[in-house]
Amino acid sequence: MDIFNSEWLIRMLEKSSNTPQGRILNLFDILGDWLAAPNLHVILSAHISSHDLLTNYLSKQATAMHAASPEILAEHIALIAHNAALQTASEPNGNHLKHAKVAANALILAQTQKQWASPKSIHSKRTIYGIAASFFVVGLTIAWLPTFLQTSSQQNIVVALDVMRKDNSTEIKTAAFASNSKNLSLSAHEAATMYAKYEQMRNGTCQFPEAIQIPDRDKAVYLENVVGGKLPSNLKDLATANIYLEKVRCNFTPMLMANSVG
Amino acid sequence: MISLREKILNTASNLFQTQGINSTGVDTIVAAAGTTKMTLYKYFTSKENLILAVLEKGHQDFQTWLNDNLNASTKKPSEKLQILFDFIEEWVTSPNFNGMGFIKASAEFPSEENAVHQLSSEQSRQFRQYISTLATEANIHDADGLALQLSLLFEGAVQAEQMKRGSGAIKYAKTAAKILIDGAKKAS
Repeated sequence: MDIFNSEWLIRMLEKSSNTPQGRILNLFDILGDWLAAPNLHVILSAHISSHDLLTNYLSKQATAMHAASPEILAEHIALIAHNAALQTASEPNGNHLKHAKVAANALILAQTQKQWASPKSIHSKRTIYGIAASFFVVGLTIAWLPTFLQTSSQQNIVVALDVMRKDNSTEIKTAAFASNSKNLSLSAHEAATMYAKYEQMRNGTCQFPEAIQIPDRDKAVYLENVVGGKLPSNLKDLATANIYLEKVRCNFTPMLMANSVG
Repeated sequence: MISLREKILNTASNLFQTQGINSTGVDTIVAAAGTTKMTLYKYFTSKENLILAVLEKGHQDFQTWLNDNLNASTKKPSEKLQILFDFIEEWVTSPNFNGMGFIKASAEFPSEENAVHQLSSEQSRQFRQYISTLATEANIHDADGLALQLSLLFEGAVQAEQMKRGSGAIKYAKTAAKILIDGAKKAS
């Protein structure tokens, strides 16, 4: 089976998320699982063409999320995925697909940031709020990733976007919340800052506040959405979880170095 | 005055880039270089060895060009990473751009056992290592991770440009690279 021309891959992507961003980024997780599956004779095509099933599918997703050049984005992401899959096949422990996903996400930002940074190209305030909310939630999601990834590598970093898209009213409310948090016009630079936070937490040993210190009214949210790494399903929980996320303290001293202090 | 060996090498390089490696026969190369098969085999012994020599020279020329330009532009390691993509964009958008040797060769020789494929993979690793060294000099904590992300972006953009000239893929890759570099700097 040529994975990049398989209807199976398209079906897997289609059901993996409710948002185009989610479906694009899940490509890397699905490929990773597929390559790691036991007793599978992996065949990867030598080329990616602009006419294969995957590139066409990605192009539709890129169009749906108003990328500046959907076809270019689709081709580029298909090529990144193809190269990373080839490298993974020959070097299984190289984390190529994980880094490819990060690169693809940056590419999505590069192709979409201009549209919400320049309101003239958007037809309604509702759309602006929706996109701003999406980026805000992506940022929060990235900040959550360290614990989030522990629970399931299959979960998509844009699950929050799914929640937003399912409920338009929530989308508008979240935009208002983002505005209050001075995050309405989240730029690529700010998204990069979120990346930085995620990377930092991933590289450290993090200590969470003890649950006994948390007021009863927030305890469930704290345990489920901060410690458990599960994304909140509504705006109120999102705000609460963010407060406690800020209180997580991480130590970045390498273990060996910390233990060797005489 | 260039030697006959260099002339064959340059001719083969141009033909491989414009017509493809497998599509270019030895007869075509010797005819274009104005020499004979016997002379070609005297210097390179086989077509495969000629391909390997072309790849090695192309990669060396590219790395030297990139390194010289980077060093002439700035002495600050933190600036070199971003400027790297300025030069790559300049190279990809120039009228003479015909693709990247190791990327094309890797696609034409997909078998991992093939010597051309192995050299292509090695050159891809060398380029990634080059970026990793720049990232390390810029005090990036996860230099290898960033280098992998940037090399995947870069190779994908070059392939997209090979498929369709002027696609603009390198422009978006440059913006994405800045996002990744800024993020990595803040994490360090």
